[in-house]
Amino acid sequence: MTFPEPSGPGLPEPGGLVPVSTGPGAAGPGPVAPPPAVGSAPAPGTTSGSTTTAARTPSSGRSARLLLNVLTYAILAGGLVLTLAPFVLSVMTAFKSPGQFASQPALTVPAPATIENFLQLFSGDRNFWAPIVVTAQVVLVAVVGQLGFSVLAAYAFARIQFPLRDALFWVYLATMMVPQVVTIIPLYTLFSQLGLRNTFWALVLPFVFGSPYAIFLLREYFRSIPEDLISAARLDGAGTLRILFSIVLPLSRPILATLTIITVVSHWNNFLWPLIITSGRTWQTVTVATAGLQSQYNGNWTLVMAATTIAMAPLLVLFAIFQRNIISSIAITGFK
Amino acid sequence: MASKLARREAGIGYLLLAPSLFGILAFLVLPILVVIWLSLNSWDLLSPARYVGLDNFAHVFADRAFLRSLGVTLLFVLLVIPVQTALGLFAATLLSRGLPGSAFLRVIYVIPWICAPLALGVVWKWIFAPTGGALNAVLGANTAWLSDPVLALPAVAAVSIWSQVGYVTLFFMAGLAAVPDQLLDAARIDGANAWQTFWQVKLPLLRPTMFFVLVTGVISSFQAFDTIYALTPNGGPQGSTDVIATRIYAEAFQTFNLGRASVMALVLFAVLVLVTLAQQFYFRKRITYDLS
Amino acid sequence: MRHLWRRGAAAAAGVAAMALAVTACSPAAENNSSSSNSGNTTVTVRLWDEQVQKAYDTSFKQFESENPGITVKTVLEPYSTYFDKLRTDVSGGNADDIFWVSSSYFAPYADNGNLMEIGSAFDAAKSGWVPAAVDQYTRNGKLWGVPQLTDGGIADYYNKDLVAKAGVDVSNLEWNPTDPSKDTFLKAAQKLTLDANGKTADDPAFDANNIVQYGFNASQDLQAIYYNFIGSNGGAFQDGEKFVFANDQSVQAFQYIVDLINKYHVAPSAADTNDNGDFLRDQFIQGKVALFQSGTYNLKNVADGAKFDWAVAPMPAGPKGRVSVVNNIIAAGNAKTAHQDATQKVLQWLGSKDGAEFIGAEGAAVPAVTDAQGPYEKFWQNKNIDVSQFAKAAEGTTISAPVGSNYGAAANAWKPIFNEIFLGRTPVKEGLKQAQDAANAAMGK
Repeated sequence: MTFPEPSGPGLPEPGGLVPVSTGPGAAGPGPVAPPPAVGSAPAPGTTSGSTTTAARTPSSGRSARLLLNVLTYAILAGGLVLTLAPFVLSVMTAFKSPGQFASQPALTVPAPATIENFLQLFSGDRNFWAPIVVTAQVVLVAVVGQLGFSVLAAYAFARIQFPLRDALFWVYLATMMVPQVVTIIPLYTLFSQLGLRNTFWALVLPFVFGSPYAIFLLREYFRSIPEDLISAARLDGAGTLRILFSIVLPLSRPILATLTIITVVSHWNNFLWPLIITSGRTWQTVTVATAGLQSQYNGNWTLVMAATTIAMAPLLVLFAIFQRNIISSIAITGFK
Repeated sequence: MASKLARREAGIGYLLLAPSLFGILAFLVLPILVVIWLSLNSWDLLSPARYVGLDNFAHVFADRAFLRSLGVTLLFVLLVIPVQTALGLFAATLLSRGLPGSAFLRVIYVIPWICAPLALGVVWKWIFAPTGGALNAVLGANTAWLSDPVLALPAVAAVSIWSQVGYVTLFFMAGLAAVPDQLLDAARIDGANAWQTFWQVKLPLLRPTMFFVLVTGVISSFQAFDTIYALTPNGGPQGSTDVIATRIYAEAFQTFNLGRASVMALVLFAVLVLVTLAQQFYFRKRITYDLS
Repeated sequence: MRHLWRRGAAAAAGVAAMALAVTACSPAAENNSSSSNSGNTTVTVRLWDEQVQKAYDTSFKQFESENPGITVKTVLEPYSTYFDKLRTDVSGGNADDIFWVSSSYFAPYADNGNLMEIGSAFDAAKSGWVPAAVDQYTRNGKLWGVPQLTDGGIADYYNKDLVAKAGVDVSNLEWNPTDPSKDTFLKAAQKLTLDANGKTADDPAFDANNIVQYGFNASQDLQAIYYNFIGSNGGAFQDGEKFVFANDQSVQAFQYIVDLINKYHVAPSAADTNDNGDFLRDQFIQGKVALFQSGTYNLKNVADGAKFDWAVAPMPAGPKGRVSVVNNIIAAGNAKTAHQDATQKVLQWLGSKDGAEFIGAEGAAVPAVTDAQGPYEKFWQNKNIDVSQFAKAAEGTTISAPVGSNYGAAANAWKPIFNEIFLGRTPVKEGLKQAQDAANAAMGK
């Protein structure tokens, strides 16, 4: 389950939000009236409020609004610069030679740009490919396992009658409150004593059996699927799995896509658990390799920035492609 | 017949549940039992564990480094949460004016949140570097940001805020979009200006959003580790950035006092439960009131 | 629609199958010490020094050709996390078959039966090892590893151009914490420190906020800096396993170093160096530091990196002359290795003249196998670099590196306080007292 769930700052780790407000087996919606998804919300130009206020005194109103617009853009542009500058600067540094870096101010554009840091990163003993491949495998197994098992559990909770169902669901919800930092030491002890430390299994086992959070979201979603569809299929003689795979899942693609994205992001970025449970290069993940590189080549910033660039690039590309879905995913997971 | 069918269905239910239940028991319930057991033992990873009763608790509650880390964590949360919430709300208000380009900017602001906090920490460590770092180059200064006991925690908090503001903004945008137009029109007819509308109409309606943003923000800030570990690996100058999570890590995996580290973990757990319940209690009352 | 979905599901299942197929394969699989397929045993050796790793790799090629059936792989772990990782690895049963340990950290492993005893099988080779190293790693009457490196003593690398420009003679400098008239070292260091206007640090117009060249690498560096200053002032760091570094002579020594940084500005702020042990080495290599006090472990780095003329001078003498720290590194066998015999063989190879010669052949480090030191000396002779100062320092008065059953915890306890002392924010005397208490508490547990 998700317990050392990678909790990046801000990951919608629902902590106590969900369990306490939806009591045991409560059928109701989320804790608070869910505002609509962000993705669909404030398309430019559709907003209410101030845009129509200018009717009274056209000239002064118009210039006031112009001023307000200019001010808004100025502030937003400032935010844009602040947001992007660290990325731009670090990538610039990654393309400088150590000599250029030492002799020029930090803000100068690399001239000529060099890829020697990246070559060094992927050459010889440092071999940054290995952590990328390892992390990709972890992500793959985590996505398939976590989602698969979560779907099964969520379906059981949503659509099947069995004794202790509500009590068990309450246990699942309660587990979301346990922070990762609390389980990390005992999990380390368990894996270490079982001789599983520094294995691929150690990286994925704690996650692969599903996530209570995903189960919670999926259960809510499954419950919203009209009962008629399911009973009709059952009358046609379809079994539980058949119903799950041919009716429920096809209707649940948005939530599945959302959970996939969340899982990919959180496992690619996961750090504390891999840091503790692996050692050496064999099962190093990208974040652990980056941290190791930074402590080993402390001060060799051009090489280190090449590593951070590589560590962040895949998710940035993913983000560029799926930004719409990701933005609405954040809203769904935040509010369902 | 019916009961047979019900039994069959129950069987399927348990079958579907089995893998995740195993996961819960093995990787969550069991670890909690283990952490309690560890907290009663002294173990340095090499010599065999030794039962010491409540010694670890006594030691931890007298441990100045740990008590300091509680304070540092609280200060960190108090720096991050208000600033990040206010900035997020402000950005959301501006973006919700619907000027062309707002949708694009909204996407840009979320970028830091997507990236690995560890990698961001390393990037910012360079930016803060006294020699060769970007920030001193911009300011023409010579400041040792991360080595100064006064500046280090605000610097670390700033990185945390920077990486999360865009994410918070998204929620407030969603909240603002859900404010019914009729209410805004009514406010305008009553002669309220934009400032009054914001405080008296929009903000009260944003309470659910506020609740979510605060709860998730506080909980994740209490556990912050990756960025802080990357920026100030040894707890920072005078332990000024040594939050609970980094303290637990150091106690367990650098000083090798697994028992004491387990006690600290249990304390953090208790604190988080209390924080959650307190927030729940406070907001629940407010929300029920507002929605009724 | 449904058809499409089914195809999607099939694809997902395919991906899942693939995921399981590729599972458990890492392109960097080197740690598989258990993979003894078809009689081929892999022995892994963990260390923290990249230069020696290269030397080992060539050495082990030779070993493999003489010992078919055994493959030896090296594993590099950065020094800053080396001993944290080692502890968890040994505890979790996945430590490498052979790993380096330094004198400060080896005690708990020896006491808890984690290391192979270097027993009678090594008797013949033992006499060829540096005696100081054998002494250092003998605990409870038993030797716990094969000596690999001996660091020699500490000396000062200097940038010939910068020294010549300043008109300073660095061949016999003296420092003195109480009598400025005898202190030639500080004056030299000041002459070697320049601000952006070319003013030296002893010039009243010197701009301490705008320094472009530093005279000396004063910093919180146990082996290269403060241990030697303590020794040269007649102070002590440890008495047995007890820390005593708050004694008067040591306080004077620390005060002197801290003043070099914060009062005289001949070394960069501790903000740059406290958490970055390589900062000053890199600055020296870039020609921004004139005098760089260090050991043979940086010889190769400096030789490969520096683009200017440099040489090695003795370190400055204190009131008690030159007292240098000496240290040795051993390769220890993992007592729980799955391949006892192969590991023993590799250890024997590392302790032999043939095996250890590679360590010095490229000038990476001084082998602790005495007979194997020839190639090391020859390498630097051929490069026309006189490295005799390191050996001379080791032959003079020495002070031995810290030890202790719980050294790591003690070092963690004093480190944050030392950070503050070097940053000039905690008074030296007060800070050292605090740090001493903290270190002794951590050591005693």
